[in-house]
Amino acid sequence: MILGVLDFQTLTDAVGLGAIYALMAVGIGLVFGVLRLVNFAYGQLVMAGAYTLAYTSAWPLAASILACFGVVVGLALAMETAVFRPLRGQSPAVMLVTTFAISFLLQAIALILDLRNGQLGEVAASLTTLAQPISIAGAQVREITLVELGVAIGALLLLALLLLRTTIGLHTRAAASDFRTARLLGVRANRVIPASVALSGLIAAAVAVMMTVQAPLVTPDFALRETIVVLVGVVVGGIDRLWTATLGGFAIGFVSGLINGLLPTDKTVYLPSAVFALVILVLLLRPEGLFAWGRRAAVPDRV
Amino acid sequence: MRRATRWGILAAALAAVGAIAALAGTTGSHAAPAAKKTVIIGWAFDQAGQMAPFDNPALAAAKIRIKQINAKGKYRFVINTCDTQNNDAAKAKACALSLLGQGAKIIFTTCDVDYATPVVQETINRGKLAIAPCIGTDQMGPRRFGKKGKLAFSFGNVAQDEGSAMAEYAYSRGWKTAGLATNTRLVYFKNVVQAFDIRFRQLGGKIVDRESYATGQNNVQSAVTRLNSHKAAVYVTSTAFGELPAFVSGMRSLHNNTPILNSWAGDGTYWDTQNPKVTNYYCVTFASVFGDDPSAAVRKMIASLTAAGSPPGTGGFLGGADAIDGVYTAIKRAHGSLKGAVLAAQLEHFNHVAVLGSKVSFSKKWHTVFGRQYRVIKTQANKAKRVGLVTAKVLPKIH
Repeated sequence: MILGVLDFQTLTDAVGLGAIYALMAVGIGLVFGVLRLVNFAYGQLVMAGAYTLAYTSAWPLAASILACFGVVVGLALAMETAVFRPLRGQSPAVMLVTTFAISFLLQAIALILDLRNGQLGEVAASLTTLAQPISIAGAQVREITLVELGVAIGALLLLALLLLRTTIGLHTRAAASDFRTARLLGVRANRVIPASVALSGLIAAAVAVMMTVQAPLVTPDFALRETIVVLVGVVVGGIDRLWTATLGGFAIGFVSGLINGLLPTDKTVYLPSAVFALVILVLLLRPEGLFAWGRRAAVPDRV
Repeated sequence: MRRATRWGILAAALAAVGAIAALAGTTGSHAAPAAKKTVIIGWAFDQAGQMAPFDNPALAAAKIRIKQINAKGKYRFVINTCDTQNNDAAKAKACALSLLGQGAKIIFTTCDVDYATPVVQETINRGKLAIAPCIGTDQMGPRRFGKKGKLAFSFGNVAQDEGSAMAEYAYSRGWKTAGLATNTRLVYFKNVVQAFDIRFRQLGGKIVDRESYATGQNNVQSAVTRLNSHKAAVYVTSTAFGELPAFVSGMRSLHNNTPILNSWAGDGTYWDTQNPKVTNYYCVTFASVFGDDPSAAVRKMIASLTAAGSPPGTGGFLGGADAIDGVYTAIKRAHGSLKGAVLAAQLEHFNHVAVLGSKVSFSKKWHTVFGRQYRVIKTQANKAKRVGLVTAKVLPKIH
């Protein structure tokens, strides 16, 4: 019956949402892997990228996107150097609260900068032409949906190559598996961690570019709620492995899209209730993570 | 001699009294006018937070209006302000107490009823009048604050009135079918669309589709896609924030150029996208900030605000000026009383009372303005101009 209600349109919308959440999950999962840090401020990296696109919208498109990547990666590295590194030895609770503080700080700064013209919100004009539809099997599939899917798959493949075929990838995997032992074996924390943070920044910038295609008005809380939902998805999927975290991010986006399609059109107000009730149910049944088969969640302190 | 002396002293005294009286009369009529009665207004507002784009223009307009009133009236209004710092509840409460402590008789508050609640409660609990310049729901009054809510009013437009006016405008344009998209994030957004729905059908219009989405839910594009599959003469929504350009540009990206009608939430051009440009887009608002408002007084106010370095981005600024006019009228009608209950009773009897931008009404049930003449703004290729005026004839029952 459910399949009867679901149409191709709903499926493509759900896949698009899942793809962008999966990308965010990769960014969050990368940092968690090496730092054991749930970076609540990840959304503010996306926000900073989106504001950069807005403030450089008069520039040539390539320059604007390049600036977005530069600002986000720079900000991610600044966070790591100025805050995360000095606090590396602290408890996960201290680290988590610190990311909350960074998140609120960045939002407050964005609010001050944004309100200089008396209006809240700046319009980012990046690849808005990608919001045009293509007709596939009777459904209006926006080009950006295909781009999101392509970028998500491409980024995962590149990441897989990086992790499996390069020295830094090997070090990163070793650090993610057991940081103390990895350091004893010569893995340099100050090389692996910034590399992961920079990668996660690159992904945040890509998310900013794609999100502004369909949500061009950038405000200080841009990507904030998405980050919270993705963090939930990462935990649901299995936070201690990059692949399970990514799948978790995709799953929560995909399921949100499906439920949105299944609900009566004027009753989507029930969407968050339905999604989070399902999240609780999944966590009750599989606390170690929906995709983390054959092992229990183990999250020791790191670094 | 003794008798003559007495009469002389009496005459001299009378002459002296007369001279003093004459002198006093002369001085009084030329040098010292009767002292104006001072009315302290406390203004608790969000100076640099999320509500700043709404609160600052309202306050700026109120200050200009007060200067104009003070110049000719027998009252001297003074505004004392307090920043609620992004509507932090504790700070907002402290602001209310501080302003009341400074002798404020009337407290103005921010443009969202949830954020306004700490200020409103502190104010009405002390028997003082609480006024919002632009809250747009029926919550600012007894409906939310119970019996003491009798002291709470808003000079924003009640959503039922706004939705009804939108329906009347749409029907008058010959748009007989409508597709609705409700942003469920705010009561104001929902109530506007509910009111449109009821009034449009009362007028004989047909609703072809009802979609919903919510700010932050990432589902506005799904609503747009589904709405797009239903042909209608007009698509109606009430939204602001990121969902506004997402909704409008989303629809246009699908090559659907059907008129889109929004409430005051969609006023202004700050959200206009360059590609695709905003076209065939309508909204109703307090005043046109595009240089073509029909009221000379409103145009003058906009010029004053611009000269003061605060050009208004939307018509919402007018709520501040209208609220000052409304309070002034209530005080005059109450013969100068500043008691909350007395002023509230006067406000409840407002029936087409002239304020700067239009005429406003309240009632015992409706403590948020109804009956205002809305300006209809059309944006075509990112150029906005006023294309009509509309006043709601009916307040639909939505609860």
